[in-house]
Amino acid sequence: MALQFAQFNWPEWIRDIFSAETAFWLSIAILVGGAVLAYLIWKYVHVFLENAGVPAAVEGTPFERTAQGLGTSTAGIVATLAAIFVYLTMLLISLSVSNLFESPSLGPRLTGYLPSIFVAAIALMIGLIAGDKARLSVSERLRSIKMPEASIIPELVKYSIVYLATLVALGQLGIATSALLILLGAYALGIVVLAGLALKDLLAAAASGTYLVLTQPYGIGDEIQIEDKQGIVQEIDLFVTHIENDEREFIIPNQRVFRSGIVRIRD
Amino acid sequence: MNELAELLEDIVADVDAVFLFSPTGSLYETFADASDLETVVVSAENAVGAENFVELPLEFRDFGGRVRFGMEGALQREYVEEGDEIVCVADVFDDEIDTITRVKTGEFSRSGVYDLFTNSRAEPSVIRDVLEVAVELGKKGQKGKPVGALFVVGDAGKVMNKSRPLSYNPFEKSHVHVGDPIVNVMLKEFSRLDGAFVISDAGKIVSAYRYLEPSAEGVDIPKGLGARHMAAGAITRDTNAIAIVLSESDGLVRAFKGGELIMELDPEEY
Repeated sequence: MALQFAQFNWPEWIRDIFSAETAFWLSIAILVGGAVLAYLIWKYVHVFLENAGVPAAVEGTPFERTAQGLGTSTAGIVATLAAIFVYLTMLLISLSVSNLFESPSLGPRLTGYLPSIFVAAIALMIGLIAGDKARLSVSERLRSIKMPEASIIPELVKYSIVYLATLVALGQLGIATSALLILLGAYALGIVVLAGLALKDLLAAAASGTYLVLTQPYGIGDEIQIEDKQGIVQEIDLFVTHIENDEREFIIPNQRVFRSGIVRIRD
Repeated sequence: MNELAELLEDIVADVDAVFLFSPTGSLYETFADASDLETVVVSAENAVGAENFVELPLEFRDFGGRVRFGMEGALQREYVEEGDEIVCVADVFDDEIDTITRVKTGEFSRSGVYDLFTNSRAEPSVIRDVLEVAVELGKKGQKGKPVGALFVVGDAGKVMNKSRPLSYNPFEKSHVHVGDPIVNVMLKEFSRLDGAFVISDAGKIVSAYRYLEPSAEGVDIPKGLGARHMAAGAITRDTNAIAIVLSESDGLVRAFKGGELIMELDPEEY
């Protein structure tokens, strides 16, 4: 967008066609029209966000609460931002048309820069809200685990998302982010490696479990033997198989079922 | 007004514990902080983060059922002792606290209804879902006509070995769990045919149309109940399963465990 504005100097083109006076009145009209347009956008963004269920989705996040404290709401902030963006754009256009500024190139460049600022602000906001939401839902999941160590995971999730959003915002503004990107890469690699190590067995069990659940080589009530454990199948899920005999219940990870093979006992 | 206040004071005098049924956060806070009484919260979920908490698996419409369940739960978890005097604070008519009752723990004979949910092989949520299906079925029936149904929940492997198929099993190789919305419809259709539904500990519907073959020796169920109830009582005595029966003749939902009738619900009340 910025490129287009720079290549084609349309305010000058307008001033070429019209007289100086018409251009001035045109710029006033653009200004007034901009105000009306900004108001309409403010209103419709509000309605649109409300219909999209945004207020319900962001409810309870710290961002929304801060916004409430300031006498507005998340939807209100987004709408106001959009309106300000539109109005500023219109203001710059009208200024460059009327040629009130000495340097005619300032207008177009600023106009080109505005969308980036807008996108950066929106990205940051979405990041903050998504981070809070993710933290809430993760901590809800971990609620039954009453360990102090578990409380660090939701925070970690939140700040990872906020970090990503900040990177996007900074990238939009054209600020050098390569150092932060390297940090992000290292972090992502760490997570992948650690998760791979930690979840190795679970993943293997789930892969075998998918096969067992889909094809059902044995069902609930069958008597089977796995390794040296024999009994009646009580339950099959994605990760484990429960086998029970008169004294014991064996809970066997599915990858072991797969590795050792299954003996079905018929009588 | 003075007389009323005195009456209320009489009711709450010298009690050992207070049971709050679905309290608001602020109500719980005042009790937990201020009183030297044992405070027990009885509700569907522990929204207030109470230390002493008894989970209600069903919406007991009838207040007596709720009190009984809360009491048995609290006794089991040793929040209160046999013989303690308890004041129950509850919302019976509305979503606000409107009822205060005083009960003595000893005056209730234990029915085992708390035990049914928490100490069975199957998960409490599974039992609740099955009960809900049975209640629903009892309310609506099959195309308006009353139907009967028998659900055997938990210990499915053993139950399957103590029963035989009456027909092709429609749930073969399927992965349907009670609580899935589709299940209500399916079970309603399948309940037209005779036989029991077998449901695993985790809630998977293992089979329909099972003919149960437990030994019915020594099963003592109230006289007047039919073959379906007898089969239910017997299978729970022979295995660690529980059975939930919808009676075709009187429309009541009954739960059996260990060969005994534990609970009786009228679907119309829910």
